[in-house]
Amino acid sequence: MAARKSVSLLLALASLAAAQSLSQFEKKVTEFTLANGLHFLVVTRPEQPVVSFNTHVSAGSLHDPAGRTGLAHMFEHLAFKGTPSIGTTNWAEEQKALAAVQQAYDAWDTERRKGVKAERARLDSLQVQLQSAIDKANLFVEPNEFPRIIEENGGVGLNATTGLEATNYFYNLPSNRLELWFLLESQRFVRPVFREFFKERDVVREERRQRVESNPQGKLQEALLTTAFAAHPYRQMPGGWASDIENLTPADAEEFFRTYYVPANMTVCIVGDVAPTEVRRLAEKYFGVLPARPLPPLVRTVEPPQEGPKRIQIYSQAQPLMFLAYKRPDQTHADDLVFDVISLILSSGRTGTLYKTLVRDKKTALAVVSAPTFPGGRYPCLFAFLMVPAPGHSVEENEALFYQVIEELKTRPVDEATLQRVKAKARASLIRELDSNAGLARLLPIYHTAYGSWKKMFTVLGELEKVSAKDVLRVAAQYFTDEGKTVAWLTAKAEGKQ
Amino acid sequence: MRFPVYLLIVAALALAQTPPRPSPARRAASPTPVDAPPPKRPRAPAPAAAGPHWRDLQFPALRPVTLPKVETATLPNGMRIYLLEDRELPLVNGVALIRTGNLFDPPDKIGLATLTGMVLRTGGTRDSDGDALDEQLEGVAASIESGIGETSGTVSFSALRADAEMVMRTFRDLLAAPEFREDKLTLAKTQLRGAIARRNDEPEGIAAREFASLVYGRDNPYGWRMEYEHLERITRADLVAFHQRYFFPENVRLAVYGDFSAPEMKAALEKLFAGWTAKGAPVPAFPPVRTPAAAGVHLAVKHDVTQTFFEIGHLGGQLDDPDFAALQVMVDILGGGFSSRLFRRIRTALGAAYAVSAAWDADYRHPGLFRISGSTKSASTTDTFRAIEEEIEKIRQSPVTDEELRTAKESVLNSFVFNFDTRRKTIGRMLTYDYFGYPADFIFQYQKAVAAVSKADVQRVAQERLKPAQLVFVAVGRPADFVRPLEALNRPVKTIDLTIPEPKQTAAAADDASLALGRKLLARLQQALGGAEALAAVKDWTETAEFRFAPEAGGLQVTQVDRWLAPSHFRQELVFPFGKVQSYCDGEVGWLHTPQGSAPLLGEQLKQAQDEIFRAYFWLPLSDRREDRQVNAVDESTLEISDRAGRVARLKLDPKTGLPASLAYVSGSAGSVEERYAAFEPAGGILYPRQITIVRGGGRFADVTVKAVTVNSGIQLEELKRRPI
Repeated sequence: MAARKSVSLLLALASLAAAQSLSQFEKKVTEFTLANGLHFLVVTRPEQPVVSFNTHVSAGSLHDPAGRTGLAHMFEHLAFKGTPSIGTTNWAEEQKALAAVQQAYDAWDTERRKGVKAERARLDSLQVQLQSAIDKANLFVEPNEFPRIIEENGGVGLNATTGLEATNYFYNLPSNRLELWFLLESQRFVRPVFREFFKERDVVREERRQRVESNPQGKLQEALLTTAFAAHPYRQMPGGWASDIENLTPADAEEFFRTYYVPANMTVCIVGDVAPTEVRRLAEKYFGVLPARPLPPLVRTVEPPQEGPKRIQIYSQAQPLMFLAYKRPDQTHADDLVFDVISLILSSGRTGTLYKTLVRDKKTALAVVSAPTFPGGRYPCLFAFLMVPAPGHSVEENEALFYQVIEELKTRPVDEATLQRVKAKARASLIRELDSNAGLARLLPIYHTAYGSWKKMFTVLGELEKVSAKDVLRVAAQYFTDEGKTVAWLTAKAEGKQ
Repeated sequence: MRFPVYLLIVAALALAQTPPRPSPARRAASPTPVDAPPPKRPRAPAPAAAGPHWRDLQFPALRPVTLPKVETATLPNGMRIYLLEDRELPLVNGVALIRTGNLFDPPDKIGLATLTGMVLRTGGTRDSDGDALDEQLEGVAASIESGIGETSGTVSFSALRADAEMVMRTFRDLLAAPEFREDKLTLAKTQLRGAIARRNDEPEGIAAREFASLVYGRDNPYGWRMEYEHLERITRADLVAFHQRYFFPENVRLAVYGDFSAPEMKAALEKLFAGWTAKGAPVPAFPPVRTPAAAGVHLAVKHDVTQTFFEIGHLGGQLDDPDFAALQVMVDILGGGFSSRLFRRIRTALGAAYAVSAAWDADYRHPGLFRISGSTKSASTTDTFRAIEEEIEKIRQSPVTDEELRTAKESVLNSFVFNFDTRRKTIGRMLTYDYFGYPADFIFQYQKAVAAVSKADVQRVAQERLKPAQLVFVAVGRPADFVRPLEALNRPVKTIDLTIPEPKQTAAAADDASLALGRKLLARLQQALGGAEALAAVKDWTETAEFRFAPEAGGLQVTQVDRWLAPSHFRQELVFPFGKVQSYCDGEVGWLHTPQGSAPLLGEQLKQAQDEIFRAYFWLPLSDRREDRQVNAVDESTLEISDRAGRVARLKLDPKTGLPASLAYVSGSAGSVEERYAAFEPAGGILYPRQITIVRGGGRFADVTVKAVTVNSGIQLEELKRRPI
């Protein structure tokens, strides 16, 4: 009992530390919204003269229109192509050349739509014309001028990511270059250009080859999502389908931009050695010109209820892998934190019960990973597990053991020490996250858009305290059922049954 | 410019890949960064309402970085310490750097350093085993981790301030006197065997690994790799000895940073480590690198990809190379960032790749690798390689432009501040420079050197240091989809064999005496079992057994029916809780049938079936009647039987009865296996064990109860090989 007592004392201290860090942290944060709806989060961390930027757009691949998947990702790539004054040797001429490309494309596409009645020779000639229009437009391009300016000015960590629900654009600069970021970032969203569209489309297609087609885990994940979701766009991989990508057009990208890159649908986070008043002045100056536009339409499709387990098998030369996933409600549901606690109980560190059973004791798996909110949290989603069988052990063996652990979770209340341990971990991991400018710039907009305030990052700890062993039992029993289950696994190719 | 394939990143898989490489492309900059305005040049007319042009922006001078003060001291026991106060967050962190590395692995035990690094933490201390440590540390959200890489070992900790004292005591115990418990060695070996089994799953990892092996050579610590057979040989005693050789205070540097007062921390460390007084001989220098002749194209065929992953390059240099700054600038222009030549040509102009980059990966104490890495759709493989060859030639033959030189230098100099953006980078750098014997101001020397690089320097180092004739090309992909064959490059093309070698148990050298004793022991065995003729009279048999796996091995219960038919047919049926698994093998080929379908026996499965046939109970004792087998004695009571395919089994006889007491062999990724026999009963005139204990990797794996053995029941081949529908 002595040990137990000292542990709770330490936990109380940790909890106190978290509460202190909220009040301390709050002093460093400034928020404001421009008239056009664009929201800014500014965190002052003056220790060194550096600053991290992140533009978070609440639009991603799940907003890709049918038949045009990959579009959100495609636009993200185009956002590195420059502006009317960056990346061109002569914008007036280039603009004409780009219009000619669109015309040539439309002419070719008009003929192509005739299907079997299209004239082969005419199609060929239109395609040649399209290529020559593209070549002509490329004459005005100063390739990669936009990223070059950033690199030359000491920018590091330059990149962007397109997820299902959001797209993020980020990099870090020495803090005396604050205004350069405002200029470059505002220009690419005030006046985007669709330069080098068709070559960049090939690059986007390559990215799918690299991340999905040539990667066993990527393939299996695609199978999991397309199987688990019958209708909701969570079933789309962020990269889009190969043939959709190959047919995207500049007009598609422009339409996507107009609909989704709306100031009120974007959040900017700036963390580092900056003065909030200066940030506000520059924000008005550079982003004030973005016109206010209506918020994008809501996603209409609601995933219909699942009424039984789904299974999908992928053949591969790679060693076996298995995903197991259960349907769960979205991240605003009252049980959201219970899922997080369950995830920590099952698979965090070396004390997670799945780790202890499958990896440490029975040695049937090399690793078990869990993702309580997958592939996103804005809509009803999945609680997913990835299992990596150890050599000589099958996916079937691991699946059987997995159910034993889940059954235990559903029937036996988790002990108090475990519950306290995972809560302490959640608190400490927050403290550790406060250490990085770039990490904060990434996290704050996620909380702001998902829950309405960045403060949720801290207040969530208080809510976490309330999660009880009973909640864990109830939620496990309610959601970890065959009705909402999807299993996807990858094994060596087998001959079909006779 | 990437989309996340979500967050399910698997730690175990990371083991199968190459370690992250240092990326010195943007290594440095300044306390007073250079803010020279770029030269003006004609620019495009800006449309109305466009705002100012970026070239017109004026930047204030950058505030100088504040270099945090690191306290250093040497403890009475000889351990060097580095202390840095950082009061922003209530955390205390530390890392001990130990002079060791996997470059010191013995050639027959590759992986020893890695295993020592893994089990140091997981094997626990004398007072608490690894599992208890996990509960204790995770209970207060703290961590202690350990690992040994190529040229150093680390043991690190992180704790909330309130728990620091307790965590540091455990940290000390692990560093000075780890227990290396056997169960965690077994677990670590399972993990590493998994890494070996999975090392060919991801093409990117294959390319990086094979490239390093080819450039450094496979016969030395820089290029060799761990195999199953090495893991087999490594024992707990090896780990203990490795730790003892390298872990002593004078060979350790300890850095602690976080929320504490430095004088108090210094006093606490002195007290904490007062009892650790181990001594050791100075650790020698790392072995030198020598380059084998591997120039040319090396192709690893992988069918399940739509891209070719590649690495192209040759040996690079060291960080203290006088030309390092010029080389960095040169390779940055060639393939460093979004505006580099390779990125523009391969990605932007050809649209042939998502990723392509060049790096001059220098190391502190040995030459690193010059490498161009990326991936391209299979069709454009050879064209991409040609374009890369041309770009290498171009940068050697003609000067870079003023703008290229400026961009490359400015990006290093302007981003220099990021070398100091967190306090721990400063303490980390001090520790590293001290460790490798580099001057404390090395990073500032580098900054000065970059500022001084001229166009002539860039061209000179490109000509002297890039060697087109010595280029090693590694391509991982589907050659059937290449539009132009690799031979079009006019370089020798070789194939890389990706086969993962099965663990070998080398047969003991057989001299006349051991062969003679072997014959004698075998005769005794045949006699004890029931006689050679009775054994030879067995045409078929069926064994029904219950397998009960040990709890550590999954705890499953399985019914197994094995049927055998001379000369070499074998069918097995296993009844698992999830269904039935059946297989058949005629010694050459076979099939496997599971609830998911049917497949031919391939790879390890086929080998296992063939091994079973080699070891079959009624056939193994008649090995003297088979020409392809050799029988010799290892000692007074142990027989060793081997065949031309490299299979080896050792039969230990009960000295009293002459009956088999145990059978030992090495099985695929499972490692060494021993079957212990007991409770013999006759079947068809031959004594047959009814109780078998299977021991794997030193631990009990399964208990087998043989329920029934039927001999010569007239099994028909047609029936035996029939596949279920």
